[in-house]
Amino acid sequence: MAPHTFFELKNAVVGIAGLGGLGSNVAVALTRLKVGKLILVDFDVVEESNLSRQNYFTDQVGCHKVDASLENLRRIHPEANLDGRKVRLTPEKVVEIFKDAHVIAECFDRADQKQMIVETVLTQMPEVPIVSVSGLAGYGRSNEIVTRRISDRLLLVGDTVSGIGPGVPLTAPRVGIAAYHQANAITELLVNELHTKLTRSAT
Amino acid sequence: MSVTLKINGQGKTFEQGLPQTLAVLLDEMKIDAATVVAEIDGQIIERAAFAQTELKEGQSIELIRFVGGG
Repeated sequence: MAPHTFFELKNAVVGIAGLGGLGSNVAVALTRLKVGKLILVDFDVVEESNLSRQNYFTDQVGCHKVDASLENLRRIHPEANLDGRKVRLTPEKVVEIFKDAHVIAECFDRADQKQMIVETVLTQMPEVPIVSVSGLAGYGRSNEIVTRRISDRLLLVGDTVSGIGPGVPLTAPRVGIAAYHQANAITELLVNELHTKLTRSAT
Repeated sequence: MSVTLKINGQGKTFEQGLPQTLAVLLDEMKIDAATVVAEIDGQIIERAAFAQTELKEGQSIELIRFVGGG
């Protein structure tokens, strides 16, 4: 990457909806890239079972995911600009909380929640692209996880079919692949497509 | 008389006429409306409007389906 791209990322604001297997890992990747500001939203607390794939540690069980993520991300980059919100996202809250985001990462677990935020962003936030994920359960089949551009403002990561279900658990490697696809798609959007907006907001 | 829709880029023919609404189409395809973002001819249709959205011959429908996990 050319040096100027880091300047672009420094002015970027990324909204992360959900801090589970996807969101906690997307946040790590974007913090390492020194993305200007992350808005991190989750209402949940860390459970023992989350440690199988989410970026938390044993001593954080029982803590809010927002607090645990802030702590972990600040160990990577102490000056990171992080805006943590312990709320359950509704269509109204999505529009309000992510109003300054240049791009949004959909990192929810439930299919109906994914539907809710994608519909809300596409219909109510006309400037903002969203990178969503569908189909990441199980293990293996790494190369079936792809990033597809569905429309101008919707990118979809995953194999589109592997939902969580009996005998199909979520595993660290496959969730991690999807999360890093998502972080990489966001990086590409910020560098290649949103740079004009980012330069403008810096001046 | 048979009529055709394009669904996710593929032509689909209905021998008994079109399903009346988007909600009926999803029902016939056994798709849970709560997990779908739908676009007709490039226009997003909100889930709350699925039951009032009438289908017309030749429309291009994109159904983006979500499965759980994240």
